[in-house]
Amino acid sequence: MSVPALALRDVTLGYEGRAVLKGVTFTVEQGEFCALLGPNGAGKTTLLRGMLGLLPVLAGRIEYGIDRRTSPPGYVPQRESLDPIFPLTVLEVVLMGTFARLRPLQPAGRRQHRLAAECLALVGLEAIAKQPFWALSGGQKERILIARALAAEPRLLLLDEPTAGVDPGATVAIMDVITRLNRERGLTVVLVSHQLRIVRQVVRSVIWVDGGAALKGSAEELLSPERIAEVFGAVAAGR
Amino acid sequence: MSQLVEILSPGFLLRDALVGSVLVGLVCPLVGVYFVLRRMIFLGVALPQLSAAGIAFSFVGYRLAVGAHEHGNVSERSLAMLGSFAFTLVGLLVLTAFERRGRETVEARIGVTYAIAAALTILFLAVDPHGDAEMVNLLKGDILATTRTSLTLLEGVLGAVVLVLFAFRKEFLLVSFDRDLAVVFGMWAGLWDGLLYLTIGATISLGVMTAGPLVTFGFLVVPPLTARLLTRRMLSFSLVAAALGGAAAFGGFYCAYRMDLPLGPAEVAVASLALLVAGALSGIRRGAARLRAP
Repeated sequence: MSVPALALRDVTLGYEGRAVLKGVTFTVEQGEFCALLGPNGAGKTTLLRGMLGLLPVLAGRIEYGIDRRTSPPGYVPQRESLDPIFPLTVLEVVLMGTFARLRPLQPAGRRQHRLAAECLALVGLEAIAKQPFWALSGGQKERILIARALAAEPRLLLLDEPTAGVDPGATVAIMDVITRLNRERGLTVVLVSHQLRIVRQVVRSVIWVDGGAALKGSAEELLSPERIAEVFGAVAAGR
Repeated sequence: MSQLVEILSPGFLLRDALVGSVLVGLVCPLVGVYFVLRRMIFLGVALPQLSAAGIAFSFVGYRLAVGAHEHGNVSERSLAMLGSFAFTLVGLLVLTAFERRGRETVEARIGVTYAIAAALTILFLAVDPHGDAEMVNLLKGDILATTRTSLTLLEGVLGAVVLVLFAFRKEFLLVSFDRDLAVVFGMWAGLWDGLLYLTIGATISLGVMTAGPLVTFGFLVVPPLTARLLTRRMLSFSLVAAALGGAAAFGGFYCAYRMDLPLGPAEVAVASLALLVAGALSGIRRGAARLRAP
């Protein structure tokens, strides 16, 4: 049996010592495509940030099936977290992904430029490499950020709401790229999303975050109409 | 024209001042690029004032601890440099630490810092009755008094700043643009922030001592803002900002020399004129693009 890509053992995560999620235990297997779902404010992003090592683990432990120093995870943040004041072309944004494997004082050279171009081709946007990043549509920016994550040559890809605020056509294009990366390249994917309808068509497993806890199960089990009605009914009643 | 030839001739009397001026004009915008990108522009007002307070404090501290000091010599400049650098760096670290943890607005903290620094500068000056005028010169940044020794120091430190900024530009870019990604990549974001702040502190301290708080703030902010309107790539943004700063410093020096104007304000005025022109051109370009759009 292969080592899981990611294993959380009785993990507590939170901010300034205050727990948001407690006793979280699950594994993400190599090559798995997993969605992190739950109501607004349930702690999906907190869990993702914990998995990325951006939040200190208050209790328990997180184990990686990869050496993070030699193979850092690919990360696609919410694009609103990035400041449009930076004058960056598409290529410059994607090249940032290659910095993961460059030492200090080592500039991005020919190999890194070639890799960035390949990653742009993977998301179908190689033709716009020289365009300003901020002039693109939301869906294009999201695909560029996926290309940037790929430029780190990761085995594990974590995405924070990549389809939030993009039109239906762009959503399909983004999900198609992610699905292809998982199926054709065997990339392990963990994706935070609100969009149950789209996610249930592509993922095999779901981590459901709610009430300060997280539960992992198959997509069929956790995204059944009865289960969704139960959860969202409870949330609505709570309001 | 003859004055331009005179300024450019090797035997020009104020050659050291001109070189110092242009150096400050070239390097402050390179640091200022990060002020603009990290939305820390107001820090550009507070830090030079803190640097000035540091200069005044170093003299008072020396007088209280050791005794009266001699004005106008090299050791005085070293003392001033030490005070200026210490106040700037500590202020920068404290303000950025509060930025991450504090609850008040950034503007409030920077405003308070500026008010305290300005008040302290005046109070420290009042406490040291000797050599008031000499210190006022240092605080204003008496660029015309630039000597061969101070120019060598300026060249050395600013040269090191430029080297650091270019050698580590990918690290500075990543921690500035997407700090989380830098951490995911295993970079020590705090260490890179610290190195960036060190270069900012050194540049501001030397800038204030050479050209004064007004010119330092002007060159930290105005050329990068102008370059932001003209460029679409990071590297060209930095290079154009530095070139604009250097050109504005030279242009300001020429205007001041030709029209017998105060040097610092003339340099800032020339830099600001470039910003106005670039702003107008950018507005026209955007308007034309809107008209062309279907």
